[in-house]
Amino acid sequence: MASVIQFDQLAYRHPGASAPVIEGLSLAIEPGSFVAIVGGSGVGKSTLLRIAAGLIKPASGSMRFELPQRPGRRRRAMVFQDGRLLPWRDVAGNITYGLETLGISAQERDERVTEALRLTGLTDYRDRWPHQLSGGQLQRVGIARALAVKPDILLMDEPFSAVDALTRRKLQAELIRIWQATNSAVMFVTHDIDEAVFLADRVVVLGNHPATVVENLRIDLPRPRDRNSAAFTTYVSHLSEQLGVTQDEPS
Amino acid sequence: MPNVKPTAAPVRAAYGIAGVVLFVLLWKAAGTFAWVRPGTLPDPFLLPHAFMQEWNSDRLLPAIGSSLIHYFWGLGLGTAFGILVGLAAATLHRFDMLQAYLARILRPIPPLAWVVFAIAWFKVSHAGAAFVIAIGVFWVNYFATYAAVRNIDPRLYELARSFGQGGYWQRARSITLPAIAPGTLAGIRTGIGQAWMTLIAAELLGVPGMGQEMNSAAGIGAYEAVVVYMLAISLVYAVSDLIYVLIEKRVLSWRP
Repeated sequence: MASVIQFDQLAYRHPGASAPVIEGLSLAIEPGSFVAIVGGSGVGKSTLLRIAAGLIKPASGSMRFELPQRPGRRRRAMVFQDGRLLPWRDVAGNITYGLETLGISAQERDERVTEALRLTGLTDYRDRWPHQLSGGQLQRVGIARALAVKPDILLMDEPFSAVDALTRRKLQAELIRIWQATNSAVMFVTHDIDEAVFLADRVVVLGNHPATVVENLRIDLPRPRDRNSAAFTTYVSHLSEQLGVTQDEPS
Repeated sequence: MPNVKPTAAPVRAAYGIAGVVLFVLLWKAAGTFAWVRPGTLPDPFLLPHAFMQEWNSDRLLPAIGSSLIHYFWGLGLGTAFGILVGLAAATLHRFDMLQAYLARILRPIPPLAWVVFAIAWFKVSHAGAAFVIAIGVFWVNYFATYAAVRNIDPRLYELARSFGQGGYWQRARSITLPAIAPGTLAGIRTGIGQAWMTLIAAELLGVPGMGQEMNSAAGIGAYEAVVVYMLAISLVYAVSDLIYVLIEKRVLSWRP
């Protein structure tokens, strides 16, 4: 089966750095699947995501998109940690941003914005300015903007790390609902093991210097997932061990 | 934060008017009690009369009109070129290097120093006055725009690339221009003030307008008339600043 994205023997070196941050990393992401990337800080999770986003180029190795490129859609769309909305555009304007270069009609643009607003529960916030939104709402707009381009894969860089714990739980549950309503795969970078196990079909552990895939663990749990189930905590403790943290420590 | 209750608008207006009245009384007293050399201080109570005299002599309105021509051409051209050159320098690396030393050489020359060439090239004309004004306004807008572009959060350009708007013109349209709007508008406002200062100075050197009228009134000791022109200058500036504020409110409606 074709992967939505396939990394093969990937290597990356920061400009001016002597040692590579990633080397010999291979990973395939299946269409429609939810993959969480975890690892200690500085291991190269975000670097991998930025390579996937095309923002930086790998030093060697390859990255392939195996699905055919379809008109009016983008292969990948990024959701940033800081939301990164354009302050001079209202919510609808921000969601439209990625649609402006897709060559679709104004009517379809409008339909896509409406659909993305509905999916993210922002219908009533259509005309708000970013400065009028809470942290959780800003992230929803970021997700809506990415969804609107109907990507094969959503690239999410610790999107919930800046919101409070309660909002975070809500957004996680909502992200699953949104993801299930679309055909997009998700590549989700997080340093939170609990979050990874709650969200993902597969948790990919990055480790070593330079980074490679240490483990690619299938999370075989029914959805919606119960954080208190024995199976859930078993996954969490196994991954915590892999990352060298005990469960009591904040990850 | 200290809990300061905002003062009601009518109260603030009353204080403002009282301040002006006090000033005028003090001014009148200075003349009455001869605190300054007699004949050098205009009588504030004679200003309405002086105003009517200027008005009836058909000098005030033509002078204002002439000054406004200099003002709008100088301000318009200086602003447009300042923003364009500033934008080009801040976004095109080679152009930036090319103009860097030149800007440093030309920048410190006061606009009024160009009056010599303005007269040589344009004679004593509207174009000459506009030229001198445009030079001052150019630099204000050039630096404001240049700094505004340099202050753009580079992460916004990353966003543009992520969503297929990474080309030069796409970035310019979707990121650079809206992002610099607050900084560039602040520059435009500074230019509006600077142009007005330069304008009067340029006209004092001979181009017809309010500056020249002031000069000739002063020459015959008609100090009340000088003050009438000073107040006219103040009024016209207040109006143009008000127009600016209305435009800014529209353009920057997205700001909190």
